[in-house]
Amino acid sequence: MRKLRAFWIRLLGLIGTRRNDDDFAAELESHVALHTDDGIRAGLSPEEARRQALICLGGAEQTRQAYRERRGLPWLESLFRDFGYALRTLGKHRGATAAAILSIGLGIGANATIFSMVSRFLLRPAPMGDPTTLLALQTTHEGDECCNNFSFPVYTDIRDQATSFSGVAAYFEMIPASIGGSGEPERVFGQAVTSNFFQVTELPMVLGRGFVNGEESAPEVVLGAGLWQRRFNADREIAGKTVTISGHTFTVIGVVTPAFHSVEQILGTEFWVPLGSVAQLAPILPSQGSREDHWLAVVGRLKPGVTRAQAAAELNTLAQRFAVANPKTDQGNRFSFDQAGTMPPHERSGIVLFLGALMVVVLLVLAIAGANVANLLFAQAASRQRDMAVRLALGATRAGLQRQMLTESLLLGLGGGVLGVVLSLWATRTLSALHLPIPVPVDLRIDLDWRVLLFAFALSAFSGLLLGVAPSWAAARPKLANALKGEDALAHPGRRISLRNFLVVAQVAMSVVLLSITGLFLRSMQSAANIDIGFRSKGLLMMSVDPRVHGYDAPRTIAFLTQLQQRVAALPGVLSAVTTDNTPLSNTTRSDDFHVTGVADKDKQNINTELFMVTPGYFETMGIPSISGRDFGGETATGLKTAVVNRAFAERVFSGSNPIGQHVADGGTTYEIIGVVGNVKARSLGEETRPILYRSLQQSVANDPSFLGYTLVVHTSGNPAAIAQAVRGQIHALDPAMAIYYEETMEEHVRAAYFLPHLAATLFGAFGFIGLVLAAVGLYGVMSYAVSRRTREIGIRMAMGAQPGTVERLILSQGLMLTLIAVILGWPAAWMVSRLASSFLYGIQPHDVITFSIVPAFLTAVALVACWIPARRAASIDPMRALRTE
Amino acid sequence: MGEKTDVWQGTLALMALRTLESMGPLHGYGLARRIEQISGDRLQLNYGTLYPALLKLEQEGFIRSSWGLSDNNRRAKYYELTRAGEHQVKKAAVEWEQTTAILARFLTSAEEA
Repeated sequence: MRKLRAFWIRLLGLIGTRRNDDDFAAELESHVALHTDDGIRAGLSPEEARRQALICLGGAEQTRQAYRERRGLPWLESLFRDFGYALRTLGKHRGATAAAILSIGLGIGANATIFSMVSRFLLRPAPMGDPTTLLALQTTHEGDECCNNFSFPVYTDIRDQATSFSGVAAYFEMIPASIGGSGEPERVFGQAVTSNFFQVTELPMVLGRGFVNGEESAPEVVLGAGLWQRRFNADREIAGKTVTISGHTFTVIGVVTPAFHSVEQILGTEFWVPLGSVAQLAPILPSQGSREDHWLAVVGRLKPGVTRAQAAAELNTLAQRFAVANPKTDQGNRFSFDQAGTMPPHERSGIVLFLGALMVVVLLVLAIAGANVANLLFAQAASRQRDMAVRLALGATRAGLQRQMLTESLLLGLGGGVLGVVLSLWATRTLSALHLPIPVPVDLRIDLDWRVLLFAFALSAFSGLLLGVAPSWAAARPKLANALKGEDALAHPGRRISLRNFLVVAQVAMSVVLLSITGLFLRSMQSAANIDIGFRSKGLLMMSVDPRVHGYDAPRTIAFLTQLQQRVAALPGVLSAVTTDNTPLSNTTRSDDFHVTGVADKDKQNINTELFMVTPGYFETMGIPSISGRDFGGETATGLKTAVVNRAFAERVFSGSNPIGQHVADGGTTYEIIGVVGNVKARSLGEETRPILYRSLQQSVANDPSFLGYTLVVHTSGNPAAIAQAVRGQIHALDPAMAIYYEETMEEHVRAAYFLPHLAATLFGAFGFIGLVLAAVGLYGVMSYAVSRRTREIGIRMAMGAQPGTVERLILSQGLMLTLIAVILGWPAAWMVSRLASSFLYGIQPHDVITFSIVPAFLTAVALVACWIPARRAASIDPMRALRTE
Repeated sequence: MGEKTDVWQGTLALMALRTLESMGPLHGYGLARRIEQISGDRLQLNYGTLYPALLKLEQEGFIRSSWGLSDNNRRAKYYELTRAGEHQVKKAAVEWEQTTAILARFLTSAEEA
């Protein structure tokens, strides 16, 4: 404590030095006067007494120095001096400083942006009490892939029997609903939770409270902060008021912290109701009594002092106990857990790979930028050797000079860091605004949190120091005699491979790797653009409604959708209007295993098939070609179930024979095939063509309602966006309270489906371009430096009769040699790294021939241009002037 | 009178604090003289080293200073002990006694051996 107090006073002592100096001078003066008085009293002459007093004091200047050092912090003062000097020096070389800061800034900006994704998706704990003691539980059946949710009875068994946890809560992850409040009703997603959920997760509340025991099915709701602000104007008095959710009345009891969206931190859920009221809100629920319906996610809070190993051991024992008690259902079940708020392992590995690849790329960019700056600093060090030599000769220490130069490069690094943070602020905003092509809300916003800032600061300080080490070492060791004479004091005669050459080779080699990856992603985007999606994207408008959450039963839903279709089809400019439960390229469909009926069990072949519900006219509206048979028409809810299949289904299931009139079944329901249509991309662009079975919407709503609502698809003759208002009007004319969502044109929808190839190509394209520019500038810098150093040599050559062309070739061949070495080193590295990218490529191989032949050629061409400019300059040297320079 | 001894590292602060404790407020010169006198003139004190030591004690909050007039009407800066300083004297004295006691044991046992 005392030390700290003294430190602060000394820190303050740096200010107001003047007055303190005067004060101490007065004190010393008074000391000497008092001592002199004593001396005179003892019989000495005044002069002798004063002399004695000064001797006893032991050197006034040393005393003052010791006092001054004690008063302030000498190392800090010299640091300030270094910083001041560095700032002045950098200010003098504005161009070089700006280039260096820009280079490092681009590198740091790229790193900070990607790291903010790492921080968001892999590092940030959810705001739920002590994140290390909150575990997300999973169950896995022997032989199955990890990880499944829990059935209600298994959850209650664990909750009642496990002693490692102070509480175990369960929740149903996603309930679509329509919510009241200000303006038109809005579609939001929520979760149904057990009454102990808020105690177990220890979620901070903005106001009010979470559920407590005894509120298992209370008509109460906790709102997310975003929903509360958006639809209830951040009403501080909202607790106790009622809101309408899908037509049911709930009382608001609290608002949860804005940082919380869901336990997994990906889903953007916005309200929480007790699990007991889930039946009112969710369409078809698994039975609560079954041990086999896995529908609940489970989190448990470890008791203080209980380790994860102990919890794992106990869960193991419980699994065995359950297997004995319920051999039919629980045999082979295992329990496992992860820290809650982290991604489940199977999703995590994909993200880790993607972010890892990006991190490698941006570090490459930074390394290239760093090599550039190091070269720049080298050139500066070379031009400052005389200055250094003079200072050394005047008594400066080498360590002092090195510290000086390191301070400069550290400042460059930090300046670049600041620029980088500003750049990534912009980049993260842009990335957060991107829209993912999936029909459920996800929260993928990224921002710069303290982890990112710390990372950017550490990275910029580290690169600043690293960049400065070699140049400062070299600069502080000039050959004194040479330097003072004004000769090149850094040149080491006889050494052909300089550090600068090494740096530029490394830089170009890294560019080869970077550009190859960029090339792959650009090619991937190009090939994605050529993917045949199988349906038209022009002239289609889509709008979704979910009558079920407004209390409609199946017959009313069908009636509503039919009336709506008729009303919309009658609008001017509308060619046709149909309804489906799911549009293609939405990354979600239902799928089921189908087989041909009437085949012996042993020959039965189950084909996993995508399922769509459609109304008559769907294929014509969507522009999907009919191949054989007919479209739907005249189906009744109770009649024989009919289906239209795509070509892939017909080929897989019937392998060539005519499928029309055949029957297929998925477990319970049998369908007669009435038609075959062309293939479409069902879930995503990158998929292999899948078998699809279309069923009649009229025949499916009753026993298999859509979880995500129904989408009206309108085919227009003009611009589809222009009739959106009219279509909305028709919906609200039928039911003013109906919430409308996912309103978009098919072109927008398809564009969103290109999100991944587009994002990857944009990111890598930007990084690749930055890397290429930096490498070209670096090569140019090295070659110009070489030319300026060899001015005299070139002058002599030309005086001896060398032609300008010969000189040009000399310089060019030197630059090309460096490039060639770099390409030879970088190419195999790129070949190896490209395998990392393979899972993100559409329609091309990671070892794409075109990419791997164009990139080296392209890079060599760029290098040629970068070397050609200094070569021209070398060729235009006037021998007379060159020889007179010194 | 025997050889004069230089002041050992780190003991000057304790001497200054102890002197201020027993004598009350003193100016720098007076303090230096008292330390020499108390040591029976066996300590060779370089007066100049006293002032950085006093500054350190002041920064640590053990003493405070103010300008005043000396007996013979000269302006001088006076130092006095703070409450924290009084505690520090006792604490440091105990520690110092322990150190010397331990050292003494070593020296006597070495003689016996």
